[in-house]
Amino acid sequence: MRLKRLLIAGAAAALAAMPASAGELSFWHAYAGQQDKVEFIDFALGEFAKAHPEVKLEVVAAEQSAYKTKLNTAMASGNPPDVFYTLPGGFLNAFVKGGQMYALDEELARDGWRDSFLESAVSQTSKDGHTYAVPVDVDSVVFWYDKARFAENGWTVPKTYEELLALAEKVKGEGLVPFSLGNKDSWPATFWFQYLEMRLKGSGVVSAFVNGDPDATLGAEATKAMEKLAELAKQEYFPIGFNGMSDQEANMLFLNGQAAMMLNGTWQIGASADAPEGFELGYFAFPAVAGGAGDQSDVLAGVAASFGVSQKAENKADAVTLLKFLTSREVMTKYVELRKTMVTVKDATTETAAGPVLYDISNKLMKAAGHLDPFYDTAMPPAATNIYYTSLQGVLDGSLPPADAAKRIEDALRAK
Amino acid sequence: MSADTSFAKRSNRAAILFLSPALLFVFAFVAYPVAYAGWLSLFRWDGASMPVFLGAGNFVRLAGDAIFWQALIRNILVALSAIVLQVFLALAIAYCLVRIVPAFSRIFLFFYLVPVMVSEICIGLLWRFMYNPYFGLVNAGLSAIGLGGLKRGWLGESETAFTAVVVVMSFTYLGLYVLLFVAAVRNVPESVYEAAEIDGAGDFRKFFSITVPMVWDAVRANSLLAIIGSLKTFSLVFVLTNGGPNHASEVVSTYLYKMGFGSFEMGYAAAIGFAQMVLTALGAWIAFRYMKRIGAGAGAWS
Repeated sequence: MRLKRLLIAGAAAALAAMPASAGELSFWHAYAGQQDKVEFIDFALGEFAKAHPEVKLEVVAAEQSAYKTKLNTAMASGNPPDVFYTLPGGFLNAFVKGGQMYALDEELARDGWRDSFLESAVSQTSKDGHTYAVPVDVDSVVFWYDKARFAENGWTVPKTYEELLALAEKVKGEGLVPFSLGNKDSWPATFWFQYLEMRLKGSGVVSAFVNGDPDATLGAEATKAMEKLAELAKQEYFPIGFNGMSDQEANMLFLNGQAAMMLNGTWQIGASADAPEGFELGYFAFPAVAGGAGDQSDVLAGVAASFGVSQKAENKADAVTLLKFLTSREVMTKYVELRKTMVTVKDATTETAAGPVLYDISNKLMKAAGHLDPFYDTAMPPAATNIYYTSLQGVLDGSLPPADAAKRIEDALRAK
Repeated sequence: MSADTSFAKRSNRAAILFLSPALLFVFAFVAYPVAYAGWLSLFRWDGASMPVFLGAGNFVRLAGDAIFWQALIRNILVALSAIVLQVFLALAIAYCLVRIVPAFSRIFLFFYLVPVMVSEICIGLLWRFMYNPYFGLVNAGLSAIGLGGLKRGWLGESETAFTAVVVVMSFTYLGLYVLLFVAAVRNVPESVYEAAEIDGAGDFRKFFSITVPMVWDAVRANSLLAIIGSLKTFSLVFVLTNGGPNHASEVVSTYLYKMGFGSFEMGYAAAIGFAQMVLTALGAWIAFRYMKRIGAGAGAWS
């Protein structure tokens, strides 16, 4: 009942937003709700109106979590917007499979548009050799800590997983939580599993499944990674009741100094903006795991958002003009400046726009990485993501044996 | 005679005219979606590509889906807890308000009603703060009374998550039933109580032997409300635990939401919704019939 009502409401909204005649484009995006998002989109669309007064935009904005449902409903009802914001990976691939996305290969090949993006980012919005969306921003995951705090206690940044565990034990001895984690919405714990899997087995494991590689497997390493994760929880290195805490609550523990470290995405820079006086945000890479088969310099980094064009769009030339404008270096540098997020456009993540920490991550950590492995949970088909999420909660909770969890995820990835 | 029929016809026409807007809405927002969900439940559909016809496939899968059945059992536990902790507790409170402290009944009633007037999402968020293991009121309260050993991560542990949610539900809806029962208890004639007092009946005796049988119709209606509400409960679970950890507090509606808007298995979600609707109707009907019998029995005894 609730579901049907949502669908009907969404379909009605889609119909209302649709009429697009020549010179008119409907454009849907998810830059709503948060101050920095709104500032960015207002800037970008304002500049676009100045540069291309001949193109009239019909703009629909929604907040991120509502947006996914809204876009899906519009796609399902056969009334997609012309140009729209979409998540890469499984979410985009469902539209590609349904023949709803316009392949941008020709346009990207022209005027060096494709070369303006990081190749690793474009590959995340491509499937079977065709690119169906242009990537916008990149998030990468690192350990965050308070530099001042570490200096005060004489703690040093760990280089190996053993050192990390030793440090955790020391922190716990001080009566503090070693690693903050708020896993109610299940994505925060995925970073732990994915990094362990990347270190133990290597990058590209889930991508292989998504690309239909017949040899794709999580391997015995997945069970080992799950065992390590269960061990961390058993040692009480995470906060009490972390499976019921939100990411914001975990962030509060971290900023208040009740927790020493946090494995989280680069959005932590923005989330630490209102840290108490004296808090000095620093980062370190996920440490090397001894005996791991993966390239120990690999970084978990994925495209967070992209823009695509509907196959049904009547006005594809104008749609591409809009995309080119949005991904121009000027607009993207402004994006970095306003949102403190790395972008996929080369040389747009400048030091002045990004600030020292983000620039360091972008320029040192990511450049030195052997591979950038996109987020498992967004790369997977949505049904597998659901199973991935609940399995991780179960392992951390002690209610699901590590081997069973690894098998459940592997089975879900194999299912078509 | 002919004048009568034409009057009947005329008033029929008027009645249909007046009822039609409501009927139209019922059709557009109830009948059509239900039928559509029923139709959708026969397909596999990810919301983007063409639906694939499965026949009864989704229902076969549902029958073997342990998570669904566990969620349904949790819904039933919620319903049972609602009858005890919401309906019967509310009746006892209503009795106290009306019979024992009538002078304060209005002010108490107001406080009981506050949570009913606040949106469920806000209640859920408030309780998330209360349950927070580090700065929440629940753990702080336990420490304050020397029970620090009982401190838990209430919403984040599979042993406690569901109970924690049930407590919030009871707190939230209790006031509604208190309000409904206060009206019913006030309608019990004073003379019956006076007669009982002359016979030496205390408050317990008066409550069980007079109030409960005299307001049995209200008990029945309120229990039905509580059962239906419990079987389709969603927002509090969604806000508090999102059904986690690892489905430990999952109810049917949150599972439906996860399948529909997490996994984008729209057909399967529709099958869950359809099954939920049928089971809710069935559960409500059984409960209503059963309570009617008890009610008749209680009437015979008194």
